[in-house]
Amino acid sequence: MTSFYAWIGELAQRGILPGDFQYPFLIRGFLCVLVLAPILGGLSHLVVTRRMAFFSAALGQAALTGVAIGLLLGEPLNAPYGGMFGFCLLSTLAMVYVKRHATLPPDTLIGVFHALTLGLGLCLLVLVTRQFNVHQVESVLFGSLLTVTDGDLLLLVAVGIIVAVLLVRQYNQLLLDSLSPPLAKVAGADSAFLEYFFAVLLTVSIVVSLKIIGALLVEALVVVPAAAARNVASGTRNYLLGSVAVAFLAGVGGLTISTRFLVPTGGAVVLAVSAIFFVTLAARAMLKRRSL
Amino acid sequence: MIQDAVDPPLVDAGPITIRHHRELLLDAVSLRVARGSLHVIAGPNGGGKSTLLRAMLGQIAFEGRIVLNWRGGGAIGYVPQTFPVDPTLPVTVEDFLALTRQRRPVCLGVSRATRARVGGLLARVGLEGLEKRPLAVLSGGELRRVLLAHALDPEPELLILDEPAGGLDEAASRGLERALTAMKRDSAATVVMVSHDFSQVRRLADRVTLLDRRVVAEGSAHDVLGVAGAVEELPLR
Repeated sequence: MTSFYAWIGELAQRGILPGDFQYPFLIRGFLCVLVLAPILGGLSHLVVTRRMAFFSAALGQAALTGVAIGLLLGEPLNAPYGGMFGFCLLSTLAMVYVKRHATLPPDTLIGVFHALTLGLGLCLLVLVTRQFNVHQVESVLFGSLLTVTDGDLLLLVAVGIIVAVLLVRQYNQLLLDSLSPPLAKVAGADSAFLEYFFAVLLTVSIVVSLKIIGALLVEALVVVPAAAARNVASGTRNYLLGSVAVAFLAGVGGLTISTRFLVPTGGAVVLAVSAIFFVTLAARAMLKRRSL
Repeated sequence: MIQDAVDPPLVDAGPITIRHHRELLLDAVSLRVARGSLHVIAGPNGGGKSTLLRAMLGQIAFEGRIVLNWRGGGAIGYVPQTFPVDPTLPVTVEDFLALTRQRRPVCLGVSRATRARVGGLLARVGLEGLEKRPLAVLSGGELRRVLLAHALDPEPELLILDEPAGGLDEAASRGLERALTAMKRDSAATVVMVSHDFSQVRRLADRVTLLDRRVVAEGSAHDVLGVAGAVEELPLR
């Protein structure tokens, strides 16, 4: 990767690429955005259609707890993936199981998990900060390009490929199940399998995105791109492309804001994606007014 | 337990008992649906009509047995009672109908062959040219006919319609009825339909089962609805 970064840096020095690309961490960040946009943008439109926005928020909180657990178990400060994957997958399976078997409304149950994981996470973080400076875990909480390594990027690419392949195989059934579970069942879909399947895909995608976006903000990137695209899209294909485009623009915009103003990448990306959402909202209102 | 066998009638169910949280939803209900007929299940709200359909579809646990005597491939078409569509959902009629008709994810585009198939299906229910219309902007009647189009392919041996005209105005209900009549004429499918609309039942049904958690009456539309002035007196839950 070093020679690749050097080559890109040279292109930047010659003025062929923007000056920011002289720095390897920014090149890495840009590559992360290139991979993240299709993953999170692609998942985003199904998250919104399946009404899993609150579920995603709860997963972000679970990741916070996962970070603390990983660090307490002795994982490296820069990559507590064992804790994050372990606790997030456990939380996901528990949330889906309880949601499918309890009679309470799903948002109430997810609210319980949301509160539980946040409370647990805060307690564990206090324990963690006895061993580490709290600023050292900020990168996972709020996202930071400076801490993203080539290993993180490779993990992101590997997970991205696996998620894309699996999603392509099940996409039609997932969408039909989102629209009408009884129709999907008649068409041969296994609703329970689809629910666990999608929740697990979402979880692993969120976990590998944490270093860039941050545990507290990652849900924004799995909800807002689709919400923005939905304002202007007129078919499933446009909906997907719109979600991916918004995620990409927000990622690039966030990177730029983050490096120019020295603010956490996650916060900057969320600001960018929110801005895009309001632009599309205004565009929708204008289109509607014109069509009247 | 649902069993497949080879002898008519197509649906031979009973006695079916279903309880939910100790409440008796169906009490020893039997139903026999002759092959090729249009059999209507009528009755008051809460009488267990949709529950019986869900049992036939294997979507709810029940005591008793349902035998489906397939002769063909055993394809089931289904039009659910409700199909809530979010007003901002950007899924078009073509996308929706393509979901079970092509392997390629519809978000990557609809193939030419699927497009032709979808066009043919829409023509069958009198909705030519609506392919690119989002589901969210369809009228109630159009949406019901799209669901009917979905249920007609692959050619069903058993078509289950759960209040297909529910919530529709007179004109939309008539439009749907025309689509159903055309379907009945062109297809060998056996139809089981839940309906509240007794005048429609009289026009369409070959046989009627009047259900109020148990079978109140069973016979031709004339016999059941004619005799049962009792029908209008059935309690609404």
